[in-house]
Amino acid sequence: MEVRAFLAAPALRVREADPDAALVAAAREEPRMFLALYDRYFDRVLGYARLRIRDDATCEDVTSTVFTTALAQLARFRGDGSFAGWLFQIARNAVRDVHRRPRAEPLPLEAACAEPDVEEQFLARERAAQLHAALRLLDPEQQHLLALRYGAGLAFDEIAAIVGANPGTVRVRVHRILEELRRRYPHDD
Amino acid sequence: MTTDQIERDLRTIAVPRDTDERLRDATRARLDEQLLVHPRRRPKVRIALGWAAVAGVATAAVLVSIGGPGGSAGPAAADAAILRHALRSMTAPANMIVHVKETGFQDGTPVGVEWWQQTSPPHALRMIKGAGGQQVEGAEDGTTSFQYDPATNTIAETPDATAPALVDPIEGVRDQLATGGAQVAGTATIDGVSLYKIELPTGVTAYFDTTDYRPMYLDNPQGDGSIVRTRVVIYEELPMTPDTAKLLSIAAQHPGSRVQARTAPSKP
Repeated sequence: MEVRAFLAAPALRVREADPDAALVAAAREEPRMFLALYDRYFDRVLGYARLRIRDDATCEDVTSTVFTTALAQLARFRGDGSFAGWLFQIARNAVRDVHRRPRAEPLPLEAACAEPDVEEQFLARERAAQLHAALRLLDPEQQHLLALRYGAGLAFDEIAAIVGANPGTVRVRVHRILEELRRRYPHDD
Repeated sequence: MTTDQIERDLRTIAVPRDTDERLRDATRARLDEQLLVHPRRRPKVRIALGWAAVAGVATAAVLVSIGGPGGSAGPAAADAAILRHALRSMTAPANMIVHVKETGFQDGTPVGVEWWQQTSPPHALRMIKGAGGQQVEGAEDGTTSFQYDPATNTIAETPDATAPALVDPIEGVRDQLATGGAQVAGTATIDGVSLYKIELPTGVTAYFDTTDYRPMYLDNPQGDGSIVRTRVVIYEELPMTPDTAKLLSIAAQHPGSRVQARTAPSKP
């Protein structure tokens, strides 16, 4: 009931000032200032890519591409939305391009050996592979939301600013997606 | 399995790793390269080479002289930035050698041009043009013009005090970008690569890489309404060294050739 009432509420959104606006303005004047934006978002974009793409090398390629594209197209960013929103839209497009390519066979998981840390590593990879497989069954919008939340590590209000919803709505949507993912995720029991 | 466990697993996938620093540095290096801006100091070249007589490759001269639709209102700020970057990418610093190679097809015949030019006085240059398997090679250094005849392995030297200059599609594109007549017409995908599309008042359409703004293709309208697409195979700036200076010299490229001195043609 509470959730329904919340969803039915009018979507009143106050557009908050973009925390990156000053750096973006500086980068327009002096392109090297873009590196400050790069430093601020590198980990987040890489994390986002890791949640959307299983292959490590492809994640790295996508991350590099996101920033070189953002730098090349910074003049096109008109500031209508947040810089983060624009940047993650580039990331989302880059991921979409990867997913559109003919899919290569994933590399086989390395065989476990007797050493405990290697075995643990193997199990973690296997678990990650299963989770990635479950993620890919979600629709791209759902994957995008989860990657923003758990890959980029953004707060609900930051995601809300990016996707143009209010934070409460985003919280509910993420929770529902997690529930769906839980149903699809292989159980040990 | 609870949603809390799934949340934890999701975060684990994205957790930073030791190897991330390597990627961070490598990407920063790529951005640094991208941020390198070439100063706009290249002097404007002036006249056409006198030896550009091969019929097929006369295209090069034709391509920049064909009239086209005029420009419209000034470009938006973003488009202006693209035009500025494109111009910069084609404007080499002083004391360098610009090396350009373009290839294409005209009426089914392969045509191509390759040239090297010094960006500082005396702006010496060497050019090879070819069409349908035939090639001409010439050079100028500000005091003499040279023409190489492969059939006799002879270099004809003629006194020529006019400043070396050339007519080439790329030069035409640069001039149009510099004079503000060009306008961005969005992006286009050629061979799977997304490129900036820039239209010039001459009717030529140039396509630039969206990352480093290097020229990639030129669409050249012909008198019969057809379009000849030229691919810019090479566009590079080389440092001026004793080795690279040889690229400007026909004698250095054909060390066993015979030299034949000619007198300058009398002026009308």
